[in-house]
Amino acid sequence: MLISRPPLAELEHKSRWIALLVLAIGLHIFEAALPNLGPWFKPGLANLVTLMALVLMGPRAALTLAIGRVVLGSFFIGTLFTPTFVISMAGGLAAAVLMIAAWRYIPGISLVGVSLLGALAHMLAQFVTVESLFIQQAVLYYALPPLLLLSCITGWINGALARYIAARLTHEL
Amino acid sequence: MAILTSEPDSGQNMFQLLKGSRTDRLLLLISLILIVAAWFVIQARIAGGVAVAEIYHDQLLLATYPLPQAGEAEHSFVVQGELGDAVVLLDQQGVRMTSSPCSSQHCVLSGAHRHAGDIIACVPNRILITVRGRSASGFDAIVE
Repeated sequence: MLISRPPLAELEHKSRWIALLVLAIGLHIFEAALPNLGPWFKPGLANLVTLMALVLMGPRAALTLAIGRVVLGSFFIGTLFTPTFVISMAGGLAAAVLMIAAWRYIPGISLVGVSLLGALAHMLAQFVTVESLFIQQAVLYYALPPLLLLSCITGWINGALARYIAARLTHEL
Repeated sequence: MAILTSEPDSGQNMFQLLKGSRTDRLLLLISLILIVAAWFVIQARIAGGVAVAEIYHDQLLLATYPLPQAGEAEHSFVVQGELGDAVVLLDQQGVRMTSSPCSSQHCVLSGAHRHAGDIIACVPNRILITVRGRSASGFDAIVE
């Protein structure tokens, strides 16, 4: 019995997605191992890979990568199906959806702006998830503004990094 | 890869990449205005009066304690959460969680908090501590 070989382009697409997924999982674990930078605050490097998947491979790849990264990353750091997992998933999904919408519908936006909106969506979604599912107290939002300011900085820097990487990849691919 | 044609050349320096587009800068400006405005509104609501720590479990406000001023004794108490008992300490540095049954221990590691708007949230144990009022250790004036 002959097994039909998938087209080369399809194999290349899948292998590229898996490479990005492995990178994102590695960064997810690395960020979890970083010293505590404040409640729920992370540099957002794993989110940078979602952004790269969006520009290199399209919205569907970005969304599946965001989900896959949180599930497998949480599995490796031992937080799968814990509140931390739910909060990470909400943040990752919200960031991916908003970045996809911004990249597609906001004219004149570059990866820097897309990343900025993704970082803000990530932080907001985490707070909304905690407030609605775990600690139903609006006072939780008192801590949000300074963290959103930090998200602006990390989102902007990650966006610049994404532009650099995207430019390098398009020259080398 | 036609989607990337508007992205900069790899030879561009980081400063140019950090500038972003006009739309990016507009989005940043709007975000900053909204965040700073929200921060001012929140601070105006919670920064007045004596510094107190509020301890919540889920939707329930368990207790409100004033933060000790200089010379006042520290005190600690036990808060019952979803997973078990957590110990909260109030001293001149502010309010802190000294022990918690959660596995991550982020709440314990976050240390002491004393500024209005600071929070300690232990999500697994469903405990939230917030600080309201003027900082207990803050200076009203410096005199010689």
